[in-house]
Amino acid sequence: MSRRIPVEPDHIISVRGITKNYPGGIQAIREITMDVHRREVVCVIGPSGSGKSTFLRCLNGLEQIDAGTIIVDGIPLDGNRRHRDEIRREVGMVFQSFNLFPHMTVRRNICLAQKRVRGKSDEEAFAVTHALLRRVGIEEKTDAFPSQLSGGQQQRVAIARALAMNPKVMLFDEATSALDPEMIGEVLAVMRDLALEGMTMVVVTHEMGFAREVADRIVFMDEGVIVEEGEADEFFDAPREERTKAFLSKIL
Amino acid sequence: MIPGSHKRRFTLLDAVLIAAMIAAVILLARRIRDDLVYQWQWSVIPQYLVRRQASTGRLVAGVLVQGLLMTLRLAFWSAVGALLIGVGVGILRITKSRSARAIGRVYVELMRNTPPLVLVFIFFFFIGNQVTTALGIDSWVRNAPEGTRQTITLLFSPPARFAEFLSATMTLAVYEGAYMAEIIRAGIQSVEKGQTEAAYAVGLTRSDQYRFVILPQAVRTISPALAGQFISTIKDSAIVAVISVQELTFRGLELMSATFRTFEIWITVTVLYFILTGGLSAAARIVERRMRVRGH
Ligand SMILES: Nc1ncnc2c1ncn2[C@@H]1O[C@H](COP(=O)(O)OP(=O)(O)OP(=O)(O)O)[C@@H](O)[C@H]1O
Ligand SMILES: [Mg+2]
Repeated sequence: MSRRIPVEPDHIISVRGITKNYPGGIQAIREITMDVHRREVVCVIGPSGSGKSTFLRCLNGLEQIDAGTIIVDGIPLDGNRRHRDEIRREVGMVFQSFNLFPHMTVRRNICLAQKRVRGKSDEEAFAVTHALLRRVGIEEKTDAFPSQLSGGQQQRVAIARALAMNPKVMLFDEATSALDPEMIGEVLAVMRDLALEGMTMVVVTHEMGFAREVADRIVFMDEGVIVEEGEADEFFDAPREERTKAFLSKIL
Repeated sequence: MIPGSHKRRFTLLDAVLIAAMIAAVILLARRIRDDLVYQWQWSVIPQYLVRRQASTGRLVAGVLVQGLLMTLRLAFWSAVGALLIGVGVGILRITKSRSARAIGRVYVELMRNTPPLVLVFIFFFFIGNQVTTALGIDSWVRNAPEGTRQTITLLFSPPARFAEFLSATMTLAVYEGAYMAEIIRAGIQSVEKGQTEAAYAVGLTRSDQYRFVILPQAVRTISPALAGQFISTIKDSAIVAVISVQELTFRGLELMSATFRTFEIWITVTVLYFILTGGLSAAARIVERRMRVRGH
């Protein structure tokens, strides 16, 4: 197994001074430092292009950072491929555009990684899959293909697919932004339940009501840096920074 | 208007075109009958398709049908090889590694810019003659037990001509592989980036990402092009007649010098090729439609 780095035992994710540049001289994020505690729900908000997605995608190695360190559950997310593989197994991710595998049934979408990565048998994987589908409220769609589901249902399957790996952290990148308004609620409800059950979550969202209600902490990003962070009520009721105030006044 | 209904309407243009075509055929047929100094003798052809074996009285494949079967075997194994090469090189062409991409690129360019006939000779003289002998494949095949030899004959080629068959298959695989690689590369690139990202995020290994997520989706979009490439392989396989692989064109050449029934033989050969390729493209269309109906 990998060599675990001693960090605050309570920190599941520890980010130190990370920077990410895209080709063309775009500095998507600049020297971000932050920690995520076990069982904590962090909501990341900020204007479009502020680097929220980039930040999230760095946390499971979807984007490679140019500077700084990321440690997930004691494992450094560095050049070492074994470390990266171990981390992405432990970190679930839900995308704005669902990204279900369109050529597989719902069941296979959820079973695939359980079997291939965790080495579970068909029976074990099926059992977990059915339990998860019940939990997200769409057991009856087990044998449907993604194209036969509504957006809200697809996103709930995507959440179930990520949960099937029994992750230590879940990342959500605007999980409801691609949904019709009437479907946003059903997905947020699943996420809320997950938070109540104690899942550690980092959630990029535009749903301020959800953020305020569910988040332990709000992180506000702008132009690739964390401008302000704080406990949810405090953050919304008494923002300190000018940029935060300007942003909140525009969207609330 | 109901979509597609215009397809079934018989227009004046259709009538004119069909009439013109019939007229052209009649004219051509009459010219051939009246002016061509050629004694048609179609009756020689059937025995080259199916004939009755003298000793047993059973119906067996005539030389042209044997040639057709050899063409099919040749094209099948070449296509299998080309597909493997195509997947490998197609992936090489889009990896992050610069040198891997360069290798893939050089291979594809080399194959696409070399006359296939030259490749046939290179493979025949270097691989067919030298390598198969050096590796002892040739003698192994020749000295294999009778049962094995029969299986080899059924699946590949008669043991006596195995070296030719092997180099022909390799030539075609390597040549068609370059085109396969480009098709597969395009197919992989047509799969949305989010698919790879989702497969990555659930922890699948790189090879599992390809095997379960990317390639199955790529195959769906490129299956018409793959079927087309297989049909090209069948057509291109005629070229290996020059190294005496007994496929359809070679059989045609042989028969022609033995019987001088030039026109009958080549018309028959053409029809046989067409039955094979036309049948396959019809089958490919049906499969494709099935897949579309299933909606993914
Ligand atoms: N693949 C990429 N290549 C080049 N530039 C990129 C890429 N992805 C993001 N960027 C740039 O990086 C910056 C941060 O983008 P990012 O997607 O992280 O923002 P965001 O906060 O998620 O925005 P949104 O709310 O619109 O999703 C933007 O300037 C964006 O244009
Ligand atoms: Mg984003």
